[in-house]
Amino acid sequence: MKNLIITLVLCFTAAQAWAEEATLEHIKVDTDLPAIARGVDDLMGNCHSCHNLKYVTYLDLEKLGIDRQKIDGWRGDQPINSPLTSLMSDEAAMQSFNLVPPDLSLMTKAREGGADYVYSYLLGYYSTPDGVVKNHIFPGTKMPDPLGMSTTTDHAQREQIRATAHDIVSFLYWAADPHEQERYRLGYYVIGYLLILTLLLYFVKKQIWSRLK
Amino acid sequence: MTNKIIHWIDQRFPLSSFVKHDLTEYPTPRNLSYWWNFGFLAGFVLVLQVATGVFLAMHYKADVSLSFDSIQHIMRDVNYGWLLRFMHATGASAFFLVIYIHMARTLYYGSYRAPRELMWWTGQGLLLMLMATAFMGYLLPWGQMSFWGATVITNLFKATPFYGEEVVSWLRGGFAVGDPTLTRFFSLHYLLPFLILGGVVVHLIALHTVKSSNPSGIDLAAKDNIPFHPYFTSKDFYGLGIFLIVYCLFVFFFPNSLMEPANNIPANPLQTPLDIVPEWYFLPFYAILRSVPDLVGGVVAMGLSVMVFSFMPYLDRSRIPGGAHYRPWYRMMFYLFMADMLVLGYVGHNPPGGNMLLIGRIATFFYFALFVLLPFLSKKEERWLIQKGLPPELKELMASDAKEKSEMHHRRNGDNK
Amino acid sequence: MSESDTLGDSKRRNFLIKVTSVVGGAGAAAACIPFVASMNPSADVLAKATTEVDLSGVPVGGVHTVAWQGKPVFIFHRTPEEIKDMEASDGGFDPEPDDKRVIKPEWLVVIGICTHLGCVPNKEGPGWTCHCHGSQYDDSGRVVRGPAPRNLAVPPYYFVSDNKILIGKSKA
Repeated sequence: MKNLIITLVLCFTAAQAWAEEATLEHIKVDTDLPAIARGVDDLMGNCHSCHNLKYVTYLDLEKLGIDRQKIDGWRGDQPINSPLTSLMSDEAAMQSFNLVPPDLSLMTKAREGGADYVYSYLLGYYSTPDGVVKNHIFPGTKMPDPLGMSTTTDHAQREQIRATAHDIVSFLYWAADPHEQERYRLGYYVIGYLLILTLLLYFVKKQIWSRLK
Repeated sequence: MTNKIIHWIDQRFPLSSFVKHDLTEYPTPRNLSYWWNFGFLAGFVLVLQVATGVFLAMHYKADVSLSFDSIQHIMRDVNYGWLLRFMHATGASAFFLVIYIHMARTLYYGSYRAPRELMWWTGQGLLLMLMATAFMGYLLPWGQMSFWGATVITNLFKATPFYGEEVVSWLRGGFAVGDPTLTRFFSLHYLLPFLILGGVVVHLIALHTVKSSNPSGIDLAAKDNIPFHPYFTSKDFYGLGIFLIVYCLFVFFFPNSLMEPANNIPANPLQTPLDIVPEWYFLPFYAILRSVPDLVGGVVAMGLSVMVFSFMPYLDRSRIPGGAHYRPWYRMMFYLFMADMLVLGYVGHNPPGGNMLLIGRIATFFYFALFVLLPFLSKKEERWLIQKGLPPELKELMASDAKEKSEMHHRRNGDNK
Repeated sequence: MSESDTLGDSKRRNFLIKVTSVVGGAGAAAACIPFVASMNPSADVLAKATTEVDLSGVPVGGVHTVAWQGKPVFIFHRTPEEIKDMEASDGGFDPEPDDKRVIKPEWLVVIGICTHLGCVPNKEGPGWTCHCHGSQYDDSGRVVRGPAPRNLAVPPYYFVSDNKILIGKSKA
């Protein structure tokens, strides 16, 4: 009986926790190159002036298959193996925002909710009736609305912003774990191999134990 | 040629006789179930952790300004570095899972009882070393959760009588967790697994002295046994295959499910993450710690919750063999204990306060109550079972065991004369 | 059970165990690959396999030392007289014409590691002298006095533009 009560209580609290997280908008991240290429393009235009991606280098982008000319345009005089550091110094950032904007290399892995969080956050800006810009997901944010969601009312334009946010998050998702696709590919082979091996081991075990009977 | 070499070695080192005595012809009860696979699996995971760890250490840097970067270096630039790291991180969880099942089997079948107390206690020592190794390893990525986990856990030593503060700063090598802490944790994280290996050897020597327990609870190794090889080698390898499938599913497809997002943010000594959660394998003990509204009391309760298992050989006073198999009360207590562990784990995972605190306290009370009640209940249960009449197959087992023992006793006395 | 049955059964069993051993062994061997591979140069090290050098800062007669793959590379901006001297001879006991050692005669690019036992020679007067064991090289990096057995090595490089070379690759 006591167990039953505990279980019921657990289910109840679990359901509550679920309801709180449900405000995040789900994003189906794109893992193919065109989306990631659009994403890095949008990121370089909208985010990179303030945010670093210090664990991603221009060389990584080239290896991924991003257009070399675009990369050369972004990196300027920097060597190809330099990281994607922003032009804004930490001191300048402290002056304008009173904080250093977080590095984005691991952003989709560094927040509860992952890619969904970043996506919902980018789209979460809105204007209050008295004209103050706020964010649903992160009320205390100091980042100005980067994609203009709070000021856009036109439906087509809002859809355009959603697409941009989708591409940026797709790129960030790649940046946080660049070997993910390789991991999955290898994983299928490994699991396939282990299934065969385990089946063989099962038959070996069965045959050996059958000697006992 | 091979024979000659082996002969040469055998004259100088007992290689063949060791292999024969402890591996190929090692007598093993034939009725061992798959629950007896987990000791071998624990040994395998230990080797896996040492192997991946040694290769990760070639790329890792134990310095607060470099360690977070060096992890990203491993994840991005080192060839298959991501694989080694995910294997190591998932391996830690796998290790605890395997060990907990190994312990649960011991509890269920009463394998801790005489003459296997030393096995149980060396196992307990190994568990403590494993916990220490895992805890120190968790600091190394130098993420937010690493830092604050280490801060909270080292603070537990404030409970030391008289010298609390001094002990804490001695452990850390500073007033807060910092570079000295990271460097010493790395050193010890590399050292402890080798002490664990040594402990495993002791554990195995004890095992080969008293032989494996088995589901019946009666020592069968002397009569109804089969050689370890090929029967249990084949069974262990089959079990290993199943284990590897589960392990690789996590390594390749869900490696991040076992990692806290906050640990992907570099450690910041000036800001604590919203809620600090230890790794899943510490959650029940963490819940016990939080349930006691007093620092010293909480630490004592947590320490006791881990150490209390050592007393099992004395707390369980029943002489009915077979652990939970033939003992309905004990079986009930076992399942209640498992359920209580899960509840505590759930409580430990959630932020404290309100319902959680209450549930945690009830579950903590329940946890200790089971151990305290065990001596009385086990004795009472024994009396009740004997009164009710034991099942005939159990009576037979006990009778044959008693006969065997008295014969052995006579034989030994005869030898002495 | 007849004799032949037992025999057939054990044959089948042996075959199964053999197949399983081979499959298992292959898997164990494959599992070693990531461990061995992790010790190879990582991506960031390989990214430094080439070094780009801007030559505009090196005055005529000056030597610039740059690091390429962790090794010193001498970039020597030679004067017309030095070029003429060097083109006139084939060096010491590892004869090699000067024009085989340069792409543009005014720029000598050599790895600054003595071919004897690996010290870094110093620029002294004409040519280089290795202070470890006294080997001497001329202004084309050719050995003129032992114990060094060979001339200073020329790394692969090419001119990206008039004033820029990329060391580590011999062609774009």
